[in-house]
Amino acid sequence: MFCNNRPRTSVVSEKLAAILLLAAFALPTTMAAQALPPAAQWIPKDAVISLELSRPKALLDLLTGKKATTAITASPIYQRQVSTPKFEELLNLIRFLEATLETDWRTGLAKLTGGGITLAVCPQDIVLLIVDAEDEQMLQRLHEIFLSIARSEAEKKGQPDSVASTQYKDITAWTFDGKEAHAIIGKRLVIANRPEGLKAVLELRDKAKNETMASNPAYQAAKQEAGPDAVATAFANLKPLMQIPGIARLFEEQPKNPLAALIFAGIIESLRDSSRLALALHLEDGTLILRASADGKTVGPASPAAFALPKKPGDGVFPNLSVPRRIAAMSLYRDLHQFYAAKDDLFPERTSGLIFFENMMGIFFSGRDLTTEVLAETRPEVRLVAAEQKYDPAIGTPQTKLPAFAVIFRLRNAEQFDIVVEEAWQKAVGLINFTRGQQAMPGLIIDRPIHNDTKFTVAYFSIVDIEDKTKLDQRFNFRPALATPGDYLILSSTDGLAQDLIDALNREMERPVKPLAKTHSMVEVDGGQLASILQTNHQTLVRGDMIKKGSTQEDAESGIDMLIGLVKCLERARLSIGTHRGLTKARLEIKLNLH
Amino acid sequence: MAVQIDRPPGPGQSEQADPAVAEKLSDPRWAWAAYQPDASRPWNLARAAHLHRRAAFGATWGRLQQTLSDGPQPAVGKLLRPKADTAAFNRKYDEYETSAAAVDALRAWWLRRIIQTPHPLMEKMTLFWHSHFATNAAKVKNARLMQRNIQLLRSQALKSFRSMLEGIRRDPAMLLWLGADASRKALPNESFARTLMETFTLGPGRYTKKDVREAARAFTGWFVLRGRLRYIPREHDAGVKQILGQKGSFTGNDVVRIVLEQPATARTLVRKLYRWLICETEQPTTRLITPLAESFARDYDILKLIETMLRSNLFFSPLAYRRRIKCPVEFALGIIKGLEGVVSTTQLARDLANLGQNLYHPPTENGWTGGRHWINSATLTGRHNLALALLSSSGPYANKLNPWPLAKKHGSSTPESAMKLLLDLFLQTDLDPKVYDTLLKTARAQNGLVGGSDQEIVRRSAHAIITLPEFHLA
Repeated sequence: MFCNNRPRTSVVSEKLAAILLLAAFALPTTMAAQALPPAAQWIPKDAVISLELSRPKALLDLLTGKKATTAITASPIYQRQVSTPKFEELLNLIRFLEATLETDWRTGLAKLTGGGITLAVCPQDIVLLIVDAEDEQMLQRLHEIFLSIARSEAEKKGQPDSVASTQYKDITAWTFDGKEAHAIIGKRLVIANRPEGLKAVLELRDKAKNETMASNPAYQAAKQEAGPDAVATAFANLKPLMQIPGIARLFEEQPKNPLAALIFAGIIESLRDSSRLALALHLEDGTLILRASADGKTVGPASPAAFALPKKPGDGVFPNLSVPRRIAAMSLYRDLHQFYAAKDDLFPERTSGLIFFENMMGIFFSGRDLTTEVLAETRPEVRLVAAEQKYDPAIGTPQTKLPAFAVIFRLRNAEQFDIVVEEAWQKAVGLINFTRGQQAMPGLIIDRPIHNDTKFTVAYFSIVDIEDKTKLDQRFNFRPALATPGDYLILSSTDGLAQDLIDALNREMERPVKPLAKTHSMVEVDGGQLASILQTNHQTLVRGDMIKKGSTQEDAESGIDMLIGLVKCLERARLSIGTHRGLTKARLEIKLNLH
Repeated sequence: MAVQIDRPPGPGQSEQADPAVAEKLSDPRWAWAAYQPDASRPWNLARAAHLHRRAAFGATWGRLQQTLSDGPQPAVGKLLRPKADTAAFNRKYDEYETSAAAVDALRAWWLRRIIQTPHPLMEKMTLFWHSHFATNAAKVKNARLMQRNIQLLRSQALKSFRSMLEGIRRDPAMLLWLGADASRKALPNESFARTLMETFTLGPGRYTKKDVREAARAFTGWFVLRGRLRYIPREHDAGVKQILGQKGSFTGNDVVRIVLEQPATARTLVRKLYRWLICETEQPTTRLITPLAESFARDYDILKLIETMLRSNLFFSPLAYRRRIKCPVEFALGIIKGLEGVVSTTQLARDLANLGQNLYHPPTENGWTGGRHWINSATLTGRHNLALALLSSSGPYANKLNPWPLAKKHGSSTPESAMKLLLDLFLQTDLDPKVYDTLLKTARAQNGLVGGSDQEIVRRSAHAIITLPEFHLA
């Protein structure tokens, strides 16, 4: 046993997380004045995952700044929580700490973590947390406070003292509950979820640098890629992670779903070939930018997944289309002809669904070969858009309001192929109508209106005979439309979105945009709009939560409000994935809305 | 901690072999007379729990104690006519159900309604009628119509069978399910007429093919078009028909009146309700059934009939005690109600479907056969697994049902005392004393051993109890 006087029970389990962060800050140490090496030199070399916050203050400024705090305290979730006894207890603890440490919580937190935070996951489920404080005195005082709290809690409950300590060489190691172990060395707090973890760290201090994570070439490469300005970096050793059955299955299995094979092409293959994954977080003008890179080579031109590789140096995805009320958009570089030609390699298990799809395509496209005579007519530009709907009051409003969505292709020979698509579309609508008619259900009515000089086709349900137009069926979320402005082909779930896309594409045709070279996938999410549609469907979501989770209405409302609150904090996110010097690179930009 | 029960045995064991009791029970006057406890037939926890298994879906420990303290007749009264505002509760749940776009969500809402309703007998009877007037959503393919179908059954579940039958004959979901959504003068659709006579009212062998053909003519003119019932007069056959010995230019209403006038209808329904509420192992004699059937035929008042059954000596006799196999809904809800939780009913609906009871999807026009058909090696394993999942601290029902805090709330301080409480809650006196002692010994042995926390020990004990054969009997 690492610690003596091991306690039998945890007295402060509920507050453990807070205590662990703030606790061991008051130990006398012989290393007070000694400069400490980087935390990575105290992490075992075989660490599987490490996360380093090298500039926590920058993140604290962003997330706990006055603007963010005002936004959070004004939110309905906060207002609801603030009146609960548990929240009151937490606030009292913070007030007590502020008074005792003679500081405000923001300053205190900054002083206690300002030197950096490092989290590492090592084999045998050992988790290490190393926190470098700026103010050693404050660290020590806080630790003393928590020691007292833990002891008085135990006394109040008539339990034995739960705090225990032991001496390891020159260091005093502590535990609150016999499970975690922590120690303070100078300005540094080291916490391990198990005593063996802390022991390993303390032993590493005396060992050569080449036995630590800092000497791992993969880690060094990841750090170098992150650059000195990174607010945080993360490093994952993928080889051991891929031994985990669930993850291994994810990477080894052939995709069963053709859609997954289409969307994730190139990414899975690259990760499968990688030994490490590196993430670097930067903060630029209030935007969080996360860059990810793996060392797996990108797929070669002969690979079945090569349909997702930009062919020429300037090739790549086109910027996403901008439409009113846009929730999300995706732009993909995908050669659909090449994709479907490689189907036997990509998804060899031919499902009945796929065979049905091919048969139907044969009917819709009048016997044309799907690969060479249909998909070959498209350019490797696929764009998708989802947007909140604006309902026409004359038609009514569905009870559950689904977003509209559309997919946009670009045709090689639009003049010849437009009419082929139109025919296929009308056949599909006809088939739907026939099937619904067999079940005595209302069918779709086809119309061909004109929007800004573009004639398009829309199919819609009639509202004749419907009395209550405030709670329409879900089918009224759909007014499927087909439009072919210029070289483009729009397949939209609603005519409203189709019209917005016609406008967006007309703008793009007037002012052509360049593709983003070497980027093969890009996704954007607009947090405000996503929050808006969640809010619109608040009642439906709450009710769904009640039966899915067995929650009370109050709990379900609280959970959904929390979700909406979190989504509102996201102004926008953009993930782009591409290749650079033969490696797969990803860039995630997150702009938070803290106003 | 509340009342403890004498052990052993309960009514299922002590009185079963008593020939005097058996003789009395064959006399309808005594059998249907209101039960009054006496020294030989005491009012005890076993009988209180029996009442809640049959007239509800089990009960909480607190409710059982209240029922014990109320006495049998007031307790039955509370189940028949609860003071709570059931109408308001049902209005709220009807509103919840309107947000269900698919039948899967409707199934989940119904299960949640059963868990939380202040009037469990109404839901118990709605479930009964759902099997009697079986309508399968897979063919109807319209969640709103299925919602209205169950609403109709609920609205009349404890009221008038006549009104329910009249509603059913105009119910679009039922007509779609039976393929009777278009009945033309030139080609009368016989499926509703046949099911009406065979399943809903008279029973097999009490009508002729000609009766069905003629009744089908009376139902002509009714259509379900775009989810709505429509009557097209020109498609109605207004000619003279002869049905079950009566002659006239009958319409659908007349057919309903004629079948309700047949004594066989009341007898069939009373027998079916006897099987649901009293006993499914033995057929009642005609002598026993006749007084109830005659009374029921006068007004088809369901509540009055059920009241007679639930208050009777027969209901509280060994002839009824644990003489039904719980359907999957009763099995699962018995656990959930007893442990005072609310779980994911979306998941529960799926699990119950795997056990053979897919709500809104009765397998045939005859509903669920029930009885021994509920139990086979696959469903028994399934029930075992469902019980385990319901008590688990992980998975879809994670921590929603936790017997240890519940036992502590009711005064238990050790796993052993918790085990006693759970035995009383779920099985009362029905265990073989040897099994009872073994369970207690196991709990005692686990207490303080390395086998896990108190919470885990009590979870394991609860699982052992609810997977015993006795728990599968209602």
